[in-house]
Formats: sequence, structure tokens, C-alpha cells
Amino acid sequence: MAKLTTRVVALAVALAGAASACTGTTGSEIVSFEAFASGPADLPPDTATRGLSFTNGSGWSITLTRARLHIGAVYLNRSAPISGGQERQCFLPGIYVAQVTTGMDVDALSPALQRFPAPGSGTADHAVTGEVWLTGGRIDEPEDRRTIADVAGTATRGGESMRFEGTVTIGTNRKNRDVDPARPGAKPLCAERIVSPIATSITPTNGGALVVRVDPRAWFANVDLGELEPVSSESDLRRIPDEAEPPAADNLYRGLRGATGVYRFEWID
Amino acid sequence: MLDPRAIAARVREPKISMKFNTSSKFRFINPSIVRRSSVLSRILLLAPAAFALAFAQPARGDEPPPEPPPSDAKGAKEKEADDHQHEDATVTVRGRVPAPSRGASDFNLRVGELSRVPRQNAADLLKLAPGILLTNKGGDGHAEQVFLRGFDAREGQDIEFTAGGVPINEAGNLHGNGYADLHFIIPELVEGLRVIEGPFDPRQGNFAVAGSAAYDLGLTRRGLTAKYTHGSFATRRMLLLWGPTRESTHTFAGAELFDTDGFGQNRGAKRGSAMGQYEGRLGRNGSWRIGAQAYTSQYKSAGVVRADDVASERIGFYDTYDRRQGGDSSRYSVWGDIETKSGDTLLKQQLFFIMRDMRLRENFTGFLLDVQQAQQNPHVQRGDLLDLHVDSQTLGARGSARWRTKALDQTQELELGYFARADRTASSQHRIDQSGAPYLTETDLDSRLGNIGIYGDAGLRPFSWLTFRGGARGDIFTYDVLDACAQRSVRKPSAANPPGDQSCLSQQDDPATGGVRYREPHDRRGTASIAVMPRGSVLIGPFTGFTASVSLGKGIRSIDPVYINQDLPTPFANVEAGELGVSYARGVGDVELMARSIFFQTHVDRDLIFSETAGRATLANGTTRTGWVGAVRATGPWFDQAANVTFVRSTFDDTHLLVPYVPDVVVRSDTAIHHELPFRADGEKLTGALASGITYVGRRALPFGQRSDEIFTVDASASVAWRMFEVALVATNLLDRRYRLSEFNYASDFRTAQQPTLVPGRHFAAGAPRGLFLTLTATLGGT
Repeated sequence: MAKLTTRVVALAVALAGAASACTGTTGSEIVSFEAFASGPADLPPDTATRGLSFTNGSGWSITLTRARLHIGAVYLNRSAPISGGQERQCFLPGIYVAQVTTGMDVDALSPALQRFPAPGSGTADHAVTGEVWLTGGRIDEPEDRRTIADVAGTATRGGESMRFEGTVTIGTNRKNRDVDPARPGAKPLCAERIVSPIATSITPTNGGALVVRVDPRAWFANVDLGELEPVSSESDLRRIPDEAEPPAADNLYRGLRGATGVYRFEWID
Repeated sequence: MLDPRAIAARVREPKISMKFNTSSKFRFINPSIVRRSSVLSRILLLAPAAFALAFAQPARGDEPPPEPPPSDAKGAKEKEADDHQHEDATVTVRGRVPAPSRGASDFNLRVGELSRVPRQNAADLLKLAPGILLTNKGGDGHAEQVFLRGFDAREGQDIEFTAGGVPINEAGNLHGNGYADLHFIIPELVEGLRVIEGPFDPRQGNFAVAGSAAYDLGLTRRGLTAKYTHGSFATRRMLLLWGPTRESTHTFAGAELFDTDGFGQNRGAKRGSAMGQYEGRLGRNGSWRIGAQAYTSQYKSAGVVRADDVASERIGFYDTYDRRQGGDSSRYSVWGDIETKSGDTLLKQQLFFIMRDMRLRENFTGFLLDVQQAQQNPHVQRGDLLDLHVDSQTLGARGSARWRTKALDQTQELELGYFARADRTASSQHRIDQSGAPYLTETDLDSRLGNIGIYGDAGLRPFSWLTFRGGARGDIFTYDVLDACAQRSVRKPSAANPPGDQSCLSQQDDPATGGVRYREPHDRRGTASIAVMPRGSVLIGPFTGFTASVSLGKGIRSIDPVYINQDLPTPFANVEAGELGVSYARGVGDVELMARSIFFQTHVDRDLIFSETAGRATLANGTTRTGWVGAVRATGPWFDQAANVTFVRSTFDDTHLLVPYVPDVVVRSDTAIHHELPFRADGEKLTGALASGITYVGRRALPFGQRSDEIFTVDASASVAWRMFEVALVATNLLDRRYRLSEFNYASDFRTAQQPTLVPGRHFAAGAPRGLFLTLTATLGGT
């Protein structure tokens, strides 16, 4: 009761509190922002017409003339996954800070900002990781025939040169064949479509802009184009299969899904 | 509490001899009641009476009459008398003794002519008390969400509700522990309402965190009454009331049928309700009551819609995402009580039994929560529709002995009482997929809950102008909870017997082998705890109509059985409240005035905040509320005006951020004007009445620093009466304002965007557009 008595005495002070009834906040803020995607910022503006030249980890000097990526959605998260490689869940309600839910095709050879069709939204909370969703339909649909990546270019190594092209989809062709019957949902297909965790440090603000930089050079980091077969004996064109074999195709797919070095989030106030 | 017309009628009755002040509103029991009490009624009384007499002394029946009940504006005068002496109460009348006032926040509300103000149901009567906001996102049969003095009391979790002394809060209800569905109460059968805004009365029990609301059942319109309402949204209501003219107002029966398509999409509802009570005399100084009630309903619910979808016209303001939302609700109860006086001691005893059943289907989040688990077969999001079911039975009793004596030339009082209830509650919650099949069991509980409370309450009056009231209450809560789905996950499932999509597993991790071992999926948990709550008030005055009061008290809310762990102390939510108030009550000519000003502060150590993902309130940190309440009421011979305003600031203790959803400004006005009209028909004058109810609710704090829209609504009615007939036109939301009754900020995905919407966004439940309703009433053989 003594404590209660103290509270009653405090009621005099509370007059000020009552007077300020209509003020205050519950914390944080709902924000909306523009969203853009582009190729690396360090590319010359005419890269899309001249091509992007680089040498990959397999010794191939590659000139990319086409590198288009379909981004289904972008999310920023307030928390980072616990290291240790627990099974991947497609999404965890409650961790998201910002979202861009309308997808677009990005020319990854252009450093120019390409606007997403609809603005993003979120809360003014600090994000430490991000996700890029590479999907054309709903993230958990068993099939998706949307072309996620479309690449073409030329490559030389030693005296060998070639043209190459390829597309990547993420549907049943990426379904995990090695299923543990006790844990059939441990590696869901939806997890194949989510690139995460992409480290970042962003606090969205109202009226700002989120930029997703995509570096196509990293897609080819471990792609040994020499593993590819020519489409015909007379042609120097080699097509990258849209499947897990040969390893070059799988490495391109893994390169697309790389959480480090491939995607970068920037915030423009 | 008695209607003046009823008083007049009583005065004319030859067998009652009395004199009384016109401001007094005593309840009368006609001596002839005893003769008319049916044999059946007496037999029906035997069961509860036998139980009651085990706890109470038999009445000697030769004691002076109990004190009159106070009631709001007029009650202020009576309270004045109560706080002093009753020298001029020389009449011989009989009635129930009300509990003494606990100070300025004790609102003993007489409905009276304000019953003409349009009200959808009995819950709407709560608006006569200051600081009340009612919302409903769950449909016509879903309990109203009540906001009171900065509390989001949800569907009753923080307010103790009773009707005729019978508890309404449902202990162990999975949707909300303390869920209180008031729809079974027929509004016309509510004679009065006592709202105590705070835990200041030792009689207040479990759930009295923000306060308590006690419905007093009675029928002032005597005779046979038939009422039919037809109006907007294909709404129909048929009501029959029966109140024999020579019985007390607490002898009545009523039944209603209600049917509506509701506004917008998916808001249809059907319900039926019946209530009856008989009051008879027990000896010369006592009375008994037996009553029964039945209620059943089925309703649809539109749920909530996203504001961004409405803005982009992907969905309409009054539309729904999921037409499967809705529910069923039923309640059946019987009760009996006695009240009698033995010497200086007033004895009360009540027994009640309640059967309750509800089903609720709600979808707040669309397709968000069905996250793929490793042990499950691969699946898409199957939908978040909740299917919640609660089936409960409650048996309980309460009783008290109140002793009065004279000391220091003043009346001194001491009351000792108890409350006991046992609840058996089966609760389950499932998730339903698009085909309508359940795919996940989230909760499956069978709970046996016990609550016994005892209290002592003293009223000490050293001087005629000073009263100390208070005492202490102790409650024990026991839990015996069988969780039929206690084992829900396993780290390394058995490959030989994979659990697959089962919700309730019969295997668990075995640390010894690193594999799994067999177990039954259920678990039983039990615990018990005792809480002691001191409460007290000091009343000073009145001085020329003024009475000042200071009140302090502690209250508790028992915890949902889902949070119970074996042998761990039951985590109560404790509330500590204090207030300073002053009230003024005077009669000026024919007009009775009442005004109150109250400053209050309340602290809760474990608050409940609604979780859209869980579909129910979940535990949060401590909170503090500070505010001011002002209320006035003026009652004259041709008008009745009540108005109140509440300012409150509700903050979390740790962050000092605002508690979301609670309104910090609530203003309410109820007005009724009634008078004879200058017209005659068949030689008889017509009488007319106008009434309005105006509500303003400020912009409520929402999560993520947002504020809701304001709410401003005007309801009005106009009626003309001639002889036994009355016709009334009622308009709800007269200005046809498009407003959001409830607003929320949280994440949901109703598949209106290309990809899931996973960050919080604004959602709302639409308030009703303008509705027009015509009511025809005929009363036969009554007043």
C-alpha cells in the first residue's frame, strides 16, 4: 500500500501526463521509398553496348554482352541467420524491415538506376541483412518457368575462344533430389529462389531510395566454360544448360545465388 | 433505479403504505408476491437455496429494511444519504442492498430515458461510463473489444463483467482469457449498470484490472411488449417482453430473434436470445430470485482489409478477403440467489451454472504463417484461417454477510464474503487450408480451473462527513491443464517413422542416443497460486453537494492456461491503481445535476497486447496509464443529458513508448428529450422523443509510430408514442461517415501483390455506414 500511496502522490505530476495524452509514439515509423536496381556502379555508362570484360577464376577472359536478371522481390531483415547452416525456411514472419514486392528485369550491364515498377515500404528499423528473391511466381510454387538470368558473351582462354549464351530458371529443374525421408521439407525449392543473407547496414527512411547493385562478373567466378559443348560441330557457340550438369552450369547457378560479392544494397536519402 | 412511472404506479398500489422523497428510487417487493409465487418456483428455488443456506444464516425476517440503492445522478443524492444518515428513510420498502460506493470512479448508471439512444446491444450501454470505446472486428456474434481508461481490455480480459451477479468472463477461453460475450443480454432487460473504473472494491475478482461492469437485470416497462424492427441491410429484430404489473421489476421474461445481412460483404448474422427471472419474497425482509438464460447465434465476419489494397482499389472498403470468417456462439445459464437480513447482518447467497460454446474463424494474416518445416512434406502456403473452438462449463457461487452497527453516532459496517467458481474448458485452435480441411493443430487444451476468493470490506465512519471503506481480497487460482498437443517438433525425426505433417508428435529427441525416442504427444501441467489484494477508499463530504474521494487498490488477471508450466508459480498480471476524484450532485428545481472529475494512474506488470499472428492477446511488458476523466449528467422532467470525456496516456515501463491501440481521447454524449406533443388522436395526447449518441475517439497510437484515423459518429432516434403503441425511427452513423472502427499495423500477405507483403502495413475493420431502422412497439396491460 505504501507503494500505492506514492503513486497517488504522483498523480499531481500525472496532470502533466494527462495533458500530454495526445502526444508520443509507439516507436519506429512506417516508411515508403523508391527502389532501383542496376549493374555495378563502377561500370562505364556504355557498358551495355560495349560489353563487360573481365577474367574469371577459371582463367577465362569473358566479355559479357548480355546479362539480364529477373528480381522477383527484395527484402531487408532486422536479424541475421544464425551461422551453423540450419535448414532454410523460405521466410520468417517478423524479421522484415523493408520490402519491394513488384519484380522487374534488370540489365546488369548498365550502371544506370532502373526503377522498380512500384515503390517499396517498410519500417524505420535497422536492417543487417537483405534478401533477393529470384522468382517469377509465388516463392513456394513447385514450378516456375520464368527466365531468371539471361546471359551471352564471348570468352577466350589461351588459344581457345567461344561465344556462349544461357538462361537460368529455378523450377523443378532445381529441385533437390537427395531428400531425407525424415525431413522432406528441410531443403524446400523456395529456398533455392532466395539469395540470403546479403550483409548490409541500412535504416530505411521515408522518401529515401533503395538500390540493389548486381555484379554479373561474380556469376561467372567459378564457371569453366571449357566444359560446355558447342551447339554444333560447325559453331563456336556454346549454350549453358539450364540444369545442374555440367558443373559449369551449376556454378553459374550458384554464382547467381551467391550471398557475397554478387548483390549489394545501397540507401540513398 | 426504478422508472418514475413505475414508482407512480407503485404508489397507487393499495397494499403498500409509504412516504418517500421523490428523489429516492427504492425497489419494491409487493407483499402479495408471496401469495403469487408458484409452487414450481418454490421447488426450483430449493436447490440453490439449500446450497445457499449452507453458507448463510436463516432470516429471522423482522429487521428494518435495507438501504436504498444509489443510482447515478439521483444516486448521488442517495450516496450522500448513504454516507451520512437515513433519518428520513422511514418508508417500509424492500429491495436488494447495493454495494457501497467506492468513490468517484464508481458509476452506478441508471439507463432511464437514455435507453432511447440508439444502441446495438447491451455492450453499447457501457458507453454511459466515461472512457469506453467499443470496437468489433470479429462480426456480430463476436464479443466487443472494450477500451477503458487507456486499457485495451480486449474482449473482456481486463474488465470483470457480471449480469445479475453471474460472471460473464470466461476463464480459460483460448481466444482471450476472460473473454466476455455480452450479446446474450437483451438490452431492454438492463435496468442499470454499475461500472467501477479501477480495482477499488474488494468484491471485484479476477479480470478486474481496468475495472468491472455489473449489469442489473430488470424490466421497467411492465406488461406485455412486442417490438419489431426492420431496416437497413435487411435487418430484422423481433422482441417479446413480459413483466407482470404486480411483480417487481426483477420479475421478467424476454426473448428476441435477430437476423441481418450486415453491411458490405460477409457480415450476416442470426441470433436468438431468451432471458427470464422471477423474484419472490423470503420471509419479511428478504427476497430470492431464480433465472435462466439461453442464447445462440451464428455470424459471418469480414475481418480486416489492408489500407494499401483499399487505396489501390484492389478491394473495397467494406469487402473481405476471406468469406469463411465468422463463428458460432451459444450460452445457457441458470442462477438463483437469496438476500435476507438476520439481526444486524445482511446475508446474500448466489449459485450459478453456465454452459458456453463458441467457434471462431478468423484470418488476420492471409498466407503468411504456414512456414515450411523440415519435418513436413514440401507445401505451399496453405492459408492462415484460424478455427478456434471453446467449450466450457462453469459452476460457481458467491455469498456475503454484511454487519452494520452504530458507533460514534455513525453507521459502521463490515462485510465478509466469498466467491468460488470452477471451470472446465476444452479449447482447440486449428489452421484451415483452402479446401476447408484442417492442416495444423496449434493448440488442444483441456483445462480445469479453480478460483476461490475471499474478502473483507469495512465501512468506518468516524464523522458524518468522513468514510473509510476498504479491506482486502485474496484469491487462489488452480490450474490442471491437459495439453493434448504438447510435443510439436523434433530435431532429428525418426527415418523409420517420419512424423511428416502431423502436428502432435509421438517422438522426441533422445540426448542419450542422439536419435529419437517414443513419447505420447500429450502433457499435463498443474499449478496454483494465491494473490492478496488490498483495496480502499476515503470519501470526504459532501459539502454542499461535493464529495471528494481517494481510492487505491490492487487487482489481478489470471493467466491463460496456455502459459502454465508444471509447479511453476502462476504468473499473474498485477495491477496497482490509484485515483483522486471529486463529485458534485445537487438538485436544482426539477433538474438533478451530477458532475465528476477524476485523476487516475494505473500500473500493470504484465500487460496483454493483441498478436495478429497468434490470433489472440499475448503477454507483454509492464505498462502505466495516467489520465483524467470528467463526466456530467443532468436529468430533468423532459430531458436527460450525459456526457463524459477521458484523456489518458498509456506507456510501456521499459521503453516509455505508447501502448498501441488504446485511445488517448474519448468523448461521448448521450441525449434524450421527451415530451408530450401538441397533438391528440382519439382524445389521447401523443408523446414524442428525440435522442442522440455522439462519439468522438482521438487518433489512437498504432505500432510503428503510426496514428489511426479519428472516429466521429452520431446516432439518433425519433419516436412517437400513443397509448399502447410507439413507433421509432433510428439512424446509426447518421452522417454516413466512412470510418475505420479498428486499425492495426502488422504484416500480412493476402496475395494482392506479386510477392508476399512481409513488412507491417495498415489494416482496418470498417465501421458501419448509415443505417436506418424502423421499430414498432406495442405494450399491453402495463405501464
